[in-house]
Amino acid sequence: MRRVPPILLLFVLIPLLVEGFWVFWPALQGFWLALTNWDGVSAPRFAGAGNFSRMIDDPVFHTAVTNTAIWLVLFGGLSAVGGLGLAVLLQKERRGVGVYRAALFVPVVFSLVATSLIWQMLYQPGGLFDSSPLADPDTALYAVLVPALWRQAGYVMVLYLAGLKGIDPGLYEAATLDGATAWQRFQHVTWPQLRSVNSVVLSVIVIDSLRSFDVVWSMTRGGPYHSSELLSTYMYATAFQSLKLGYASALAVVIFVLAFGVIVTYLVRAFREN
Amino acid sequence: MDRRHFLRVTAAAGAGLLVSSTASCATSASSGPVAQTAGTVSIQSNLSAPAAKAAIEALVKAFNDRKGSQASVNTVASETFRTQLPSYLTSANPPDLFTWYPGSLLKGYEEKGLLLDVSDVWQTMGDYPQAYRTLSGKVFVPTTTYWWSFFYRKSNFAKWGVTPPKTWAEFVELCKSLQGKGVIPLGMGAGSDSPWTASAWFDYFNIRVNGAPFHRELLAGKHRFDDPKVKAIFTPWREVLPYTDPNGTAIGFQEATTAMLQGRTGILLTGAFFADAAPKDALDDIDFFRFPIIDPAVPLAEEGPTDGFFASSKSPHVKELKEFLTYAATAEGQEVYIRNSSGTILPTHPKARDSGTELVKKGRRHLEEAAEITQFFNRDSSDALQPTADAALVKFLQQPDQLDTILATWQKAAEQVWSA
Repeated sequence: MRRVPPILLLFVLIPLLVEGFWVFWPALQGFWLALTNWDGVSAPRFAGAGNFSRMIDDPVFHTAVTNTAIWLVLFGGLSAVGGLGLAVLLQKERRGVGVYRAALFVPVVFSLVATSLIWQMLYQPGGLFDSSPLADPDTALYAVLVPALWRQAGYVMVLYLAGLKGIDPGLYEAATLDGATAWQRFQHVTWPQLRSVNSVVLSVIVIDSLRSFDVVWSMTRGGPYHSSELLSTYMYATAFQSLKLGYASALAVVIFVLAFGVIVTYLVRAFREN
Repeated sequence: MDRRHFLRVTAAAGAGLLVSSTASCATSASSGPVAQTAGTVSIQSNLSAPAAKAAIEALVKAFNDRKGSQASVNTVASETFRTQLPSYLTSANPPDLFTWYPGSLLKGYEEKGLLLDVSDVWQTMGDYPQAYRTLSGKVFVPTTTYWWSFFYRKSNFAKWGVTPPKTWAEFVELCKSLQGKGVIPLGMGAGSDSPWTASAWFDYFNIRVNGAPFHRELLAGKHRFDDPKVKAIFTPWREVLPYTDPNGTAIGFQEATTAMLQGRTGILLTGAFFADAAPKDALDDIDFFRFPIIDPAVPLAEEGPTDGFFASSKSPHVKELKEFLTYAATAEGQEVYIRNSSGTILPTHPKARDSGTELVKKGRRHLEEAAEITQFFNRDSSDALQPTADAALVKFLQQPDQLDTILATWQKAAEQVWSA
């Protein structure tokens, strides 16, 4: 076996140390804090599983979990379907297609906080609607979802465009020669060839939907009266408004377990199929 | 809650990392207190609105020009300041002074030994009324204050042919009359990022019906939010709900201010700070009247939030920072501050001159006439209790018939906060 040059080792070890100190270590501390009561100032008091059992009776937590599930399905599902649809539509090189791709990608470039401000203006009473959908507890969550999707679809589109570029055009030629319809070509060539991109997209949308925060926080702050609360906004409010950092860390652990669970399940299945 | 909250939140910092966000934001010392230079007092300020930022910078400059100790100010966004305050105070090398307000949060930090005892500074503040001393304890130096009331435009009232009311009955009459003229009588900006403005209504109904002592006890957890006495204050509130802007829970504070200034709504219950954002030519046209008396037997109370400074107990510049606090508490220091601010703020020093406009002179009398001063919901209780009030009151504004459920939920949520 060839010796690894020391410079390469350095390139690996230094980022690992930095990552370990700034990411893994605080993350581990987060797990520990989830088992404590902590106000951010005095020493954390060990509380065992108290924070987790408290979630069972916490109505806001229930709302946040339900909303997060809705968010995961709608935000994840619609952005994946929409992104794939746009990518398939815009994959062929023809005149002006770059303009469309760029236009759809532009929202990704904006800061989400800026995006929220723009949409807040659109939602103003007397704007798109007579009364603001952000103020109505029945519509607030969906009203926030729209700008989030508006952005995410462009991002997913770019991922799929890259995936589509990687497919051998010969496969399509062969399929066409065999008389396959456009739908059959998609079903039997495009979709199976996109498998590796799919796992990337899945991870991205699961993580992005569980960490969706800025768009909700800047538009509704989880309100009116918690109706658009997600686990992430509830975690933030618990940590930095209520200063209950132990309970907030427990909420963060729940978010982590959810994200990790979904992704690992998918990856395990994907590997088995291989 | 006050003008410090008005900057749109850019709190994306907490969003990025899943588990590590709660941990790293709160535990790492990376939250950047200002660099300490020898002998210079560092002031961490959350006064990020342009007028207030200019005022504190002018105060620091005037202090430095005295050729005594030197100070420097570091302004950060108010939301960052609020979330990072525990980190600042527990870091090894915190800033020396902080802008803030008195209340339960400071009391908690004081009990943990994080705040410097500034009783010596109070020795130089003999002119100050006892109320400020009681409010501040040993750790806080108040420098400015302002008032809440119903604001309106004089020209609009003249046009509509109405006059400010004194009693509750006159107030309801005024609302009726304005509605008859096609104006939305009562502005409200409890949507968007300012649901807390609804608490001003709650505070006022409570101090008018039940009085300030009951109000403070309620906010300290000594009464229940589903107490019949609390429920009673929603009866007069319900009476004026039909006159309240139906978009009041959809628009924010700024939009509500604009609506009042443009004459789409008649009057707005707000703090004098709203004038910071008002166009200059509108300022001379603004007047106010106090929240009408409901029960004449209840001693008159007004909301008059107070702002000022506190110091970290870890500061190596105790002598220098006390010199600064002493200066900030003088009439001279406060006059420098007010001259450079938007001018609707009041000094805490009884002999300091205010900006001298009719509005401010009336505002000063307005507070002096009150037998009791309350601070504001979150200041008299805690920032942690404020979101429980926001949820309850916005829901009340939208679904007033759900009052019993709302108050029961509020009580439960409040107990969670008090038990933490």
